[in-house]
Amino acid sequence: MSTSKLPLSGVRIADFTIHNAGPFGTHILSQLGAEIIKFESNARPDALRKPHAVYGRMGPATFDQVTANKLSVRLNLKKTEAVDLAKRVVAISDIAAESFRAGVMKRLGLDFETLCQVKPDLVMLSLSSCGQDGPDSHFAGYAPLFGAWGGLGALTGYPDGPPVEIRHVMDHASGYHGALAVIAALLQRRRTGKPQFIDLAAREVSSAMIGDALVMGAMGLPVKRPGNGDIAMAPHGVYATAQDDRWLTIAVRNDQEFLTLLNILEKQDFATDSRFNTVIARRQNSAELDGLMTQWLASCNAEETAEALQVAGVCAHVSWSTQDIANDPHLHSRKTLVNVDDTSNPDRLAVGSPAIFSKSAEVGVLRGTPDLGQDEDYVFGELLGLDRKQRQDLEEREIIF
Amino acid sequence: MQDLKESHTDSLPLAGYRVLERSRGAATAYAGRLMATLGATVILMEPETGSPLRQAPPWLDDDEQQSALFAYLSVGKRSLICNLETAAGKQLFNQQLQNADIFIDDTPVAERETLGLTPKAIAEKFPNLIHVSLLPFGATGPKADWDGEELNIVHAGSEGYLLPNGFAQESFPERGPLKMYGHFAEYQGGVYAATAALSALWSAPVSGGQYIDVSSQAAVLLCGAYAMQRLGDGSLEHRATRKFRYGGVFKTADGYIQLLTLEDRQWQGTVELMGNPEWAKAEWLQDPLERSRRGDEINHHIREWMAQHSVEDIVSKAQELGVPAAKYRNPEDVIAGEQEAFRGLFETTTLENGQQTEILLAPFRFKFSPLHFTGGVPALNELAQPTRAGDINT
Repeated sequence: MSTSKLPLSGVRIADFTIHNAGPFGTHILSQLGAEIIKFESNARPDALRKPHAVYGRMGPATFDQVTANKLSVRLNLKKTEAVDLAKRVVAISDIAAESFRAGVMKRLGLDFETLCQVKPDLVMLSLSSCGQDGPDSHFAGYAPLFGAWGGLGALTGYPDGPPVEIRHVMDHASGYHGALAVIAALLQRRRTGKPQFIDLAAREVSSAMIGDALVMGAMGLPVKRPGNGDIAMAPHGVYATAQDDRWLTIAVRNDQEFLTLLNILEKQDFATDSRFNTVIARRQNSAELDGLMTQWLASCNAEETAEALQVAGVCAHVSWSTQDIANDPHLHSRKTLVNVDDTSNPDRLAVGSPAIFSKSAEVGVLRGTPDLGQDEDYVFGELLGLDRKQRQDLEEREIIF
Repeated sequence: MQDLKESHTDSLPLAGYRVLERSRGAATAYAGRLMATLGATVILMEPETGSPLRQAPPWLDDDEQQSALFAYLSVGKRSLICNLETAAGKQLFNQQLQNADIFIDDTPVAERETLGLTPKAIAEKFPNLIHVSLLPFGATGPKADWDGEELNIVHAGSEGYLLPNGFAQESFPERGPLKMYGHFAEYQGGVYAATAALSALWSAPVSGGQYIDVSSQAAVLLCGAYAMQRLGDGSLEHRATRKFRYGGVFKTADGYIQLLTLEDRQWQGTVELMGNPEWAKAEWLQDPLERSRRGDEINHHIREWMAQHSVEDIVSKAQELGVPAAKYRNPEDVIAGEQEAFRGLFETTTLENGQQTEILLAPFRFKFSPLHFTGGVPALNELAQPTRAGDINT
């Protein structure tokens, strides 16, 4: 049975976030039903409103995942009256979220203490690269820098190569943690009636992703960059197959799974080989085993082998491109992939919810990316009660701009 | 059995909430860990042999008995042995569920019927419970019975195929794609499952209890959704081409740094950082599009310069000039970091064997409710024992 409401139905967020990490956090909350009012302005256009030549996009985006589901209003926050209007939106919201460099919200007159004057039980999320305080709090950063500072970048890579740049997933992992913290604070507010301020540092999310290695480090123990290898499991790797750039991932946890793997690959002769017949032996001879696996899999069909291994109980999956994902019946059946309205591409897919709720209404991407200022009738008109003439005046003076 | 008194956690965001966790994998354990650190009472329901995560690498001892991963993921939780194949175990489980707000479980779908863990069986007995299933591919759909370790999940969710990128890929173009360190994809499943569980708690006054089916594959896919957006733009991303045209990872005289110059002013700052060299005065370098086209040439020059300077010198000067640059820090650097110490990122706690160590607390701070561990790393079944060393309120 489905109730009509989404889990966060009725929760409203005043969204000052920019770039990727913060907007992804509020996008997650929007997927769960929160109403997100995104502030943007022609005075400082959001990245999605501009060309993005470095990535080959020569005009504004027609679809931007992190802005999907959101309402858009224009406010030129360089002007005092625009700041006052933003405060009026905060006053009727549950949450304010921002992702400027530490100190910017205060300069704008929109810091937590000020906003609490208009919304005494406000939950506010400040998401930044290094946090709101400390010697590095003024540092500017992007996702790869969070990965570098926090330690995830240095531990990722080929064991004999350089560290790896962690890209958008570093931003978005930070946004995920921000979304979680916000809902925890909402639950706390329901119990206490009090405000809460959440200070999230993206570089600390990077560190949280290597929390086990940091326990090792704190105990004075070395941590090596493992590449695709694993200390406990062998074989555990990514292997080339008969098709070009089609790699098969396999992780074998125990003797039973190893015997199953040998059966599927028709290499039963190795079942009694003393180099490989126990977990310890396989670990000790993992390089040799990897060499054999590379030979054995070189003539295999990647998808067919993955399927056969999975049916027999061995963890395997092809290293999938985004196109493979777009074609996947499993992800479509779960509505993880959804079609969105897009003028440039009617078949465009977006990534919806990783979860299916038994009672709440369907979560996920329910509408595409808003046009700049498209929701001002609702936000400035209905919610704030500004009439047409007042709005026109504010537009002429480039406050709503 | 002890009473669970929670006065010491009253001020935490999730104070008063109870979570039961059955976990084999890092995803579910991370979801429980996040909720425990936010103040919920999280009880690990373990088999008699203990959670498999107690044996998971990396290990703190040569005997492979002390898992650093388990320590990280279970600090602050409680532990109870609960064997669902026995009548006594089932009774204990039902007693615990009676008082729980959330039950999170990664038991494979095929095993749920006999153990009484199907959504239907749970909902009939506990209509107000938030029941979260977290599996590598979810509990419904054609691949619901597929199993996966982190290696498989991160490659099933597309980020694996796109790694490595930049300098690492250029260094070894013939090599295959790569997972990230540790349990990144599973942690996205975990943080999302916790988020979904709390959002269902929020709506419980309207919806009551419900069942939520979460997939780690889908969570890491959503985390990397930009690649799907690019596909809609007509561009299929590949690790060989997903790179910044110039900037990226550089080897210095004593380590690696990350340098990014997305804005024109940051490029100008980079030129100043390098002491305004002759090559940087060429006319074409004034045009951002031309710089992108000839990024390899630029990186060649930057590499030469970087190799002669130390990380600390480069990074401190770069930040002064407004050039985004960061050292690739090892775990030791993070542990000894001034910023981390200032913000209290680590907290001293007690391992199962009584040793003290520092463990990362949480990547967020709550101004009015400073987070803290509410207990150490739990010994197996400690909650069934009359006392626990170091336990508050016992």
